Amino acid sequence: MAKAIPRTGSRRNVRIGSRKSARRIPKGVIHVQASFNNTIVTVTDVRGQVISWSSAGTCGFKGTRRGTPFAAQTAAANAIRTVVDQGMQRAEVMIKGPGLGRDAALRAIRRSGILLTFVRDVTPMPHNGCRPPKKRRV
Amino acid sequence: MPHLLIHRSTITLPCLTAHSTQSFCRLDSVGLRRPPPYRVITTTTCGGSINGVNRAIICMANPRRVKMVAKQIRRELSDMLLTDKVLQYAVLPEAALGADRYLSSLTTISDVEVSADLQVVKVYVSVFGDERGKEVALAGLKSKAKYVRGELGKRMKLRLTPEVRFLEDESLERGSRVIAILDKIKDENKKKATNDESGEFADGSNDDMEWEGDDIDDEGIIYVK
Repeated sequence: MAKAIPRTGSRRNVRIGSRKSARRIPKGVIHVQASFNNTIVTVTDVRGQVISWSSAGTCGFKGTRRGTPFAAQTAAANAIRTVVDQGMQRAEVMIKGPGLGRDAALRAIRRSGILLTFVRDVTPMPHNGCRPPKKRRV
Repeated sequence: MPHLLIHRSTITLPCLTAHSTQSFCRLDSVGLRRPPPYRVITTTTCGGSINGVNRAIICMANPRRVKMVAKQIRRELSDMLLTDKVLQYAVLPEAALGADRYLSSLTTISDVEVSADLQVVKVYVSVFGDERGKEVALAGLKSKAKYVRGELGKRMKLRLTPEVRFLEDESLERGSRVIAILDKIKDENKKKATNDESGEFADGSNDDMEWEGDDIDDEGIIYVK
């Protein structure tokens, strides 16, 4: 899935693709970032260009309610609604992070009628790189 | 435990029906302004004789601290599920063969309940996948309960590492089923509404009866466990 690298000096050609017209994409990728306090659902095409996104915060939930599984499934339903009209049938799901949004968003996607081809977990895993934040003391 | 001493002023002792009034008097007479956050519970044997008493000291922590510990355990366990190789192989055996990029089932820790004395931790696990994946994941987690307890002790500084019990959490799945049924009812109602608009208006009362019938039937489906 390598993106075309834009040549320096020819930036006018980078964004020539369709702006607002509805592209018919039969297959897409749904990214679900599920942290403990929020869930963000982004729908992109296979190359990675974002089509639509939604999160628990933008769905009207505030504060601690954003982290609940119900908020995650409303966010997923919201993000998929625009795309289902464009005719997406199959999708691959990439899940990032711990949190309740993982399960709830997956179930919402399956309920909506989009065929799940693959479920992948892409939580970033350092090969012992940056120093993590200090331990919380309870 | 430094926290137990510092929070002396905010501790509320739960009311037990044990014979602990004696212990209260004794401790007050010692000169403490407030009894320490534990009770000495004396139980007698079935004969009722005082000679065969058993004493047990039970530590009750601050409820706010219990919540904090539960949250921290949840973070640690989720992190372990994501990073620890042993746990991942237990939950998803095909990861050991290398097929870990494309998952057949996804395990999530939905809730952690800690008992008031911080000794027993009930972890509710929700598995997304088919029936076999669920069984495999839960069985794998239950077999690694001791390992998880050891790892938790290494990561968290607690005086006594609690015993970890894994339980299956069906609430997410049940909620999803309920919402699917509700969506189906909404779609059916919408379809009927559009059919009515395009057709004649004489069947208004019939549709009301049908809707009530549908709701009652579906309520029966919803509440089946």
